[in-house]
Amino acid sequence: MAITEAEVRHVAMLARLALTDEQVQHLARELSSILGHIDEIKALDLAGVEPTAHAFPVRNVMRPDEVRPGLPRDLALANAPEARDGAFVIPRIVGAEEGA
Amino acid sequence: MAKDRLAGVLERYEAVIGLEIHTELTSLNSKMFCGCPVAFGGEPNTRVCPVCLGMPGALPVPNEAAVEATVLAGLALDCEIARFSQFHRKNYFYPDMPKNYQISQYDLPFCTNGRLDVEVGEGDAAYVTRIGITRIHLEEDTGKMIHVGGAEGRIAGADFSLVDFNRAGTPLIELVTEPDIRTPEEARRFAQTLRTIFLALGISDCSMEEGSMRVDANVSIRPRGASEFGTKAEVKNMNSFKALHDALAYEIVRQADLLDSGGRVVQETRHWDAGAKRTSALRSKEEAHDYRYFPEPDMVPFEFTDEWIESVRAKLPELPAARRDRYVSDLGLPKQDARLIADDVALSRFFEAAVQAAGASRAKPVANWVLGELSAHLNATGAAVDECGVSPAMLAELVVLVDDGVISGKQAKEVFAEMVVTGEMPGAIVERKGMRQVSDEAAIEAAVRKVLDENPAEVSSYRAGKTGLVGWFVGQVMREMRGQANPAVVNEVVRRLLEQ
Ligand SMILES: [Zn+2]
Repeated sequence: MAITEAEVRHVAMLARLALTDEQVQHLARELSSILGHIDEIKALDLAGVEPTAHAFPVRNVMRPDEVRPGLPRDLALANAPEARDGAFVIPRIVGAEEGA
Repeated sequence: MAKDRLAGVLERYEAVIGLEIHTELTSLNSKMFCGCPVAFGGEPNTRVCPVCLGMPGALPVPNEAAVEATVLAGLALDCEIARFSQFHRKNYFYPDMPKNYQISQYDLPFCTNGRLDVEVGEGDAAYVTRIGITRIHLEEDTGKMIHVGGAEGRIAGADFSLVDFNRAGTPLIELVTEPDIRTPEEARRFAQTLRTIFLALGISDCSMEEGSMRVDANVSIRPRGASEFGTKAEVKNMNSFKALHDALAYEIVRQADLLDSGGRVVQETRHWDAGAKRTSALRSKEEAHDYRYFPEPDMVPFEFTDEWIESVRAKLPELPAARRDRYVSDLGLPKQDARLIADDVALSRFFEAAVQAAGASRAKPVANWVLGELSAHLNATGAAVDECGVSPAMLAELVVLVDDGVISGKQAKEVFAEMVVTGEMPGAIVERKGMRQVSDEAAIEAAVRKVLDENPAEVSSYRAGKTGLVGWFVGQVMREMRGQANPAVVNEVVRRLLEQ
């Protein structure tokens, strides 16, 4: 199965990645070869084989509903490009939806 | 306006409505995948950690109480509980979501195929409609943004935005209904009924104002008799039950007007403006809905055994509908009164404790006091019933004092007003204020004889046929006994002695 350059540009847009034309061509080839490998797996007869949800045969790992100390605010904001009034500052959002 | 025209539109068109309801599990101590506390408001970014900030390398671990609360909700709504389930990543970009994906559930939600029977309307027009519940799944809430600059904190035109991640990672359950709802009133009743159930389960405070319960609706219309669905619009931003009703009424009329004028409905998301009383389209990017779900690799799946599911089922409390039926059948309350009490968990607990103390035969007067003076007191003070200064034992004693004829109903209201302030037991107030109503027939008879002896002219008039004087005699006796006599007994004794 081949991945087109248009599909690479679509996925890059969803992932907010700015790719050059050369990178798009390169990734289209690489992703196509990865999916080619998936096609080989698809050709196997897996009737009766349960899908693998996780590589470890472990289930139901949970934590008790207990409060644990978090990060002090100055540490939480330490690596923010910009902070103000205890909050992360983000640039204006143009053309996006109103948050729910 | 939309509401006035709705009935006419619904004669020609059938509305098809499905709801999507997000509820924060506010009763939990900690967030969904980390140990940060769950709370409302507060200083920005004071309840955060590497997990809920989405820092690289931080590992989420699901909160077992949140999983249990979701399954409990599913059992309360007759859902099937998955034997195998897992979390998925839902990928999208929005600044209030630190990881650029939300941990949610996709094709393996905890609960599927449930239902809720909803009572709509009052009296002769009342009917019950069964609303299917497609699924209930568990996920994490997002952070909050404050838009600075521009107009009124709206995103459009803002210079920049501030992000607060205190809410990020709060356990959130999403419930999706089948498109079984046909009117705005059915939608409102569904949401209200669901709220009383979640409150009874004790999993959330379900505040639409504070956003811990958020209702979105998918609405379409089709000509009566048609079997195909029309194009639907999604309506958001309804933060009260009234807003839910009004937004749906507006949207149904809007779609009917479009179709009637030869237009067509566009599939889009619309925003309810409660001030302007209208919905308007939101700009949205079609591609934003390519969520690229995949299994959450940081967490292992869930396998629920029958034993575990039954152990959760054993924790189901009595639900409001069952409680209401019990109040009607066992305690003889009118259905409307029974529902008003049963829908409120705290009020029910108070009522039942008071009935326990006063005796089941006095359930009706207890209910009258709970819905009357007590509710008025709660409304006036804004206090919760557990902290309102009146205990079930106090109310029960008051009801018994009236029922035994110790004080009159009028005196009881005075005692209630007094005990709310002082916290004294009603019996103590009655003693202290000398309010005790005299029902003792011998004492009353002595007073009546005294009044008759002192007023021979009036007695003669009465006996000559002027029977209307009986009220005057009762008044004289009440004055003689300084208002503390039982009026019913006085009335009876006055008549008896005058007739001799
Ligand atoms: Zn956290």
